[in-house]
Parts: sequence; C-alpha cells; structure tokens
Amino acid sequence: MENLVLFIPFIPVLIAFSLGFLKQKILMPKISLFFSSIVAILGLFGTYYVMTTGEAIYGFDGLLVYNELSAILVPYVAILGLVIRKFSTKYMWDEPEYKRFFILLNFIFSAIYLLVMSNNLIILTIAWQLMSISLYLLISFNVESKSAIKNGGWTMLIHKLADLLFIIAVVLTYKTFGSFDLAELSQKWLEMSKLGPIDNPVIYVIGFLFLFAAMMKSAIMPFHLWLPYTSEAPTPVSALMHAGVVNVGGILLNKMAFLLLLTPAVLNVAFVMGLITAVFASLLMLAVSDIKRSLGYSTVGQMGYMIMEVGLGAFSLAIYHLMVHGIFKASLFLESGSLIHQARKDPNIPKRLSHEVFWEEKPQYNSINMFRMIAFFTVLPVIVFVGLKFLLTDGLEFNAAVLILAFAWLTGTQLFLSFFEVNKVNSPKVIFALISSFVLVLFTYEFVGLALEHFLYGEYGPLFYEVATLNVTGAMTIFMLGAIMVVGWLFTYKQHYVNVPVGKHKPSKAKWRFYKMLAKEGYISDMYVKYFKIF
Amino acid sequence: MLIHFILLFLFAGVPYYVYLEKTKTLEKEKIFFLSTALLVCGIIIDTLFPQEVSMPFVIIAFIASLYSLYRANKTTNLYKLGYYVLFFNAPVLMLFGPEESVLYALSMLLTLFGLYFIAKYYERNYGSANYQSVSGITLVTPYAGLFLTIYLTALALYPPFPNALLFLNGILSSDTHFMWYIINSVIFFGNFLIAMRVMAKTVFGKPNDNVHYVDLTLKERRLHLFIVIILLLLSIVGFKELLS
Repeated sequence: MENLVLFIPFIPVLIAFSLGFLKQKILMPKISLFFSSIVAILGLFGTYYVMTTGEAIYGFDGLLVYNELSAILVPYVAILGLVIRKFSTKYMWDEPEYKRFFILLNFIFSAIYLLVMSNNLIILTIAWQLMSISLYLLISFNVESKSAIKNGGWTMLIHKLADLLFIIAVVLTYKTFGSFDLAELSQKWLEMSKLGPIDNPVIYVIGFLFLFAAMMKSAIMPFHLWLPYTSEAPTPVSALMHAGVVNVGGILLNKMAFLLLLTPAVLNVAFVMGLITAVFASLLMLAVSDIKRSLGYSTVGQMGYMIMEVGLGAFSLAIYHLMVHGIFKASLFLESGSLIHQARKDPNIPKRLSHEVFWEEKPQYNSINMFRMIAFFTVLPVIVFVGLKFLLTDGLEFNAAVLILAFAWLTGTQLFLSFFEVNKVNSPKVIFALISSFVLVLFTYEFVGLALEHFLYGEYGPLFYEVATLNVTGAMTIFMLGAIMVVGWLFTYKQHYVNVPVGKHKPSKAKWRFYKMLAKEGYISDMYVKYFKIF
Repeated sequence: MLIHFILLFLFAGVPYYVYLEKTKTLEKEKIFFLSTALLVCGIIIDTLFPQEVSMPFVIIAFIASLYSLYRANKTTNLYKLGYYVLFFNAPVLMLFGPEESVLYALSMLLTLFGLYFIAKYYERNYGSANYQSVSGITLVTPYAGLFLTIYLTALALYPPFPNALLFLNGILSSDTHFMWYIINSVIFFGNFLIAMRVMAKTVFGKPNDNVHYVDLTLKERRLHLFIVIILLLLSIVGFKELLS
C-alpha cells in the first residue's frame, strides 16, 4: 500500500499526457486539480507513514525513496502545486496556449518530485536536467515576447552550465566511490567521516562541483541573473520559480550532506558565497526600480542566507528556510494579480497595509488591545522559553544558524517596509509588529527547526556543525548581518522620509557612484551581455 | 592507425569540407544523406574493428568539430544544420566504446531524420529549408512547433530523450583524462547552443505576417509521431544501459 507513494513523480506526467488529448478547455484544470489532489493526499500519507514507522519507503529497485526529506518536501511541493494550478485556472484562461501551459506545468512538477524522491545519482541527473528544460519552456511561454525569449536563453545558459558541472560531479562520484545509490553513498561518506580528515583532492572537487551546480540553480551570485530577469514569465510561473525551482540547490546540498562532511572547505566557500549574495542582493533589492525585479533580488538574497546556513552545517535549517520563504514569496506573487485588478477599479489601491492594520477603527477591537495580544502571544512565551532554557541548560548556546534565519527574516521586512511605505506617524507601531513577528520566527525555529533537524538527520545532526570549521562567532555574525539590516533600513528611511532638496543639492561622488553601481545591478548583467553574446 | 584515419574521414565531415562544400556538386539534402551514410559506415567499421582510442586523431576530430560548431551557428538551413551536427559530434563517437557509439549515433541519426522531415516540410510550404523568417511556429502551426521542439530538445541533450541518456552512458563508460573533460564539456555545451539558437528563432518569436503558415498534414504528423515513439523506446534502452 505505502509503495503507491512512489508513483507520485509519474502522476503529473500522466496528467500532462491526458491533457494532450482533451478538447474541452474547462476540463483541463479540473483534471489537473483532481490528480494533483491525489498527489497531495499520497504525499501526506507517505509523510504519515515515515513519521509513524520511522522507515523510508524504497521502490523501483531502490531508484526512488520516500524518506524523511521527501516526507517534508513532497507535501510542500504538492500543496504549492495545487495552489498554483488553482490560481492558473482563471489567471491563464484567456491565454491562447492554455493547454500547453498546463502540460508544461505538470512536467516541471514531475521533475521536482523526481528530484526530491531520487535515491540514485542517474535519476537525480535526469530530474535535474528535466527541470531545466521544463523551466525554459515555461519562462518562454509568451513566445512572442523578445525579452522573455532572451531572458529564457540566459536562464538556460546558466542552468546548462549547472547541468554540466553536475554531470562531471556524478561521473567523478561514480569513479571514486563506485556507486550511484545515494543511500549507500551516504553510509559510505558517514563512515569515511569517522576516520578523520580526508586527503583525496578528488572528493573536494566533487564537493565543489555539486556546490557550484547548486549555487547556479539557486541563483547565487554571480549566477543569479536568470532569476530577477525572468519576471516576464506568467505570474504562476514566477511563483513556482521563487517557491520551488530556486530551492533545488538547497535540496541537492541536503541530499549530499554526508559528502560535505568530508569537505569542510566546501562548506566554508558556501558560507562566503552565501554571505556575499545575501549582502549584495539585499542592497540591489532596495535599489532597483522594477518591483518584480526587486522581488527577484529578494529571493536571491534569501537563497544567499540559505547557502550560508548550509555553510554553517545547518542543513535542516536550510530546508526550513526555503519552505517558509517559498510560501511567503509564492503568496506575494499570486496576490499581485488581484491587487492590480482592484487597483484598476479603485485609485486608492494599493492601500497602506500598515494604515489598515494600525489606524483604521476596527469595530471588534481597538489597536491597543491588539498590541497587548501581540505582546502576550509572542514576547511572553519567548521570555518563558528563554528563562526555562537558562534554568535547564548551561544557558543559551550560540547558534549562528538561528541568527542567520533571524536576519534573513529582517531582510524580508525591509522589502515589506519598502512596499508599504512606512511613514513617520505609524512606523514605530509597524516596526514593533515586525519585531514581534521576528521573535515569533525565532521562537518557532527553536521548536520546529530543531525538531526538523532531529527528524531529518537524527543523531548525526550535530556532526554537520562540527565539520563546518569556519570560525563564525556570534559577534561576527551580528556585525556582518546587522550591517545589512542597518543599511537596508537607512535606505528605506531615506527613500520615504527625507525631503531631498531638488536643484541645488548635489550628492557626493562616492555616494553617487555607489548608487549608480547598485542601480546598474553591479554591472553583472552588462558583463553577461558583453562577454556571452551567444543568444 | 588506418582505422583511426578512416573513422576521422567518415565522422568529421572531411569529404564535405575538402570537396563537396567548394565544388557544390551535390545539393544540401543529398549531402545530408551522404553524411549519414558515412556515419553509418564509420559505426560499422568501429564495431567490426574495435581499436584503442587514438588521442591525436580525437584531437584532430575535435578541432574539426569546433569548426562545425562555428558553421552550425552560422547557418539558417535545416539540412545544413543536420550534417553540421553530425560532424560536430565526431570526437565523442571516437572517444566512446563501440557499443556506446552505436547507440548514441543511432539516437542522433533518428533525431536528425526527424529534423530532416521538418526541413522537407519547410521546403514544401515555405520554399526552402531556411528557417530565418519562419518564426513563432508554436502559435501558428502547433504540430510543427511541437515536433521541432522535441527534436531540438533531444539534440540539446535533454532527457527524457535518448541522446542525453546515451551521451551520459558513453561518458560513464569511457576512461577519463584531461582531454576527455574538455571534449565532452564542449560537445555537451555545443549541442545545446546549436539547438537552442534554432529553437529561439523557430519555435519562439513573433509569427511573420508576410508568411502563410501551414501546419503538418495528417500523414506527416503520423510520421513524426512514429519517430518520437522510436526515440522514446530508445530512451528506455538508454535508461537500461545507464543503470546496468
């Protein structure tokens, strides 16, 4: 019975083929939604099975597995898929290529399920590449748009490079360890890690190849360009890209977690690259004028944090982060359409959410009560929790990963602040609310994040932290990531509060150059255009 | 030595570059057939007389293949594209073992025959196999768009099509060395560049108002469906080969 779960990657392919023969347009989303619901139910059943029995489900001669990682990610992808399909039903209705869209959507979901559930490097390679081609066809869905095709070309170029690195890594893994089976390889890597430091440079090369392949697909700088520039794709595709596709780097690194136990240098590079991406993308997010591109850079920044978490050995946190970020970003994209629709009818839209929440008179309760509620449900439990932890343990252990998660969240709030135009009157209340929810995020992590780590890696969880040799102290992390927050908030503040004198006022040259560099997105796109005139 | 020389002659397009291109004695369509025939002969010889890989010949084939890549990226004719793709893949056919070469060549030939029939369709409906002005076919001629997308995806070495699987099978079965990495990386990326460039200009783009678009006939559709089914069957073979 439980083996039915292993058919999940094939169901979207069946949907795609059945849609190919359908003539009635109205039936297409219905069939797609019906079978996607079955996928979600199967996913939830599989998760229930894995959680209750503690056993992974193997099938197809060990090629596919429904293990702890699948148990978390498959229901997430399935539910995301349901929402995106439901949204697309009406959103894409007037598009001439409605059928093609649903077929391609199902293909990409199939590739993602296959990627998550693969237990064999060959299957992983196939899924890795299948996702690239499906993504290209979806990004270029608007075939008449020159820029969509051009940006789709960039996407493919970067993804193909990732495919190449991935294939070389697979070949080297096979030649070095003699197997494609991931469960067997993980066991081998774990045993090797217990023997002490590894001096085989090929293993480091493999680690770096997998890391760079993951970074390219997760839009880490300088391979990020494909993500902010593909916002011309249909909105459901944007939601899928930011909530699903871009996460595959994190998923791959989690699958290769035990290999990375052997290669601390790879983890250190991951941390540094993640840090550069987080800082730079967060700045660009605030500087670019196109709102969809700003969201794109926000995702790039979050992926930077995700890779930083991997670099610190917090693999489970990376999974938690990519899921939470995915839900948040998908909802932003999917909401944008209805907001635009409303704005066409009402000139006062978009209203300031901050104003609605904190100033408008509510018939049920007043704002002071609401603040008491926020304080009661967020700050108080945390104080109790922290107090208990101090009493029961030696005190709060420093966990750099928690800090990164917190600051990643803070970058998200920068975006939030710039979207809802904070002003002098209500900003303290907005910031108070944001801080409360920040506290809530930390609080949730302490329970959910650690439970997730225990579920995914069990007793081996702490091993990864030990291997991540980069000496990141609490002070360093606070300093580096605090800088992002301060710069970001200052930028937002200046953008919205300060009356810049027009005419006589001249900015200093350094400031102007810095702004120009940000406005030109670090000249990275220019560099791509100049040196890679292939498409 | 002699076998390597013959293989180089048959795979790398030597007759074409030395004689046929300059004299123009044969039409493009016939050159395509001649090139496929030479490839088949080469594969038969390679199977009958298995030899150790000769790196100097592979390097010469690789240099010729770089030139073919350049030519393939310049042409807008689908027939020409077909034989340039064949010449471009010559070094990997020489690097792979006999069995892997046969399978990879078979999948490539099958895909190129699909492309050949698309070229025939272009010639009949648009006057020539030149795709330069016939853009955006996904919207106006969906069947032609679908089959061309499939062939180009296969040529770009993307799964689930057999070219990608058998290429992977070939590289996993051969011995690795410095030149192996360079050649395989260039062939892997080059096939992708050739196919994607054509895809961007044919399958995608704005339909040309000055062109009267005509989709594939029922007979042509059946033919292409047959080719795709065989490709998928070959994918199953490729998948089994990979896992074995």
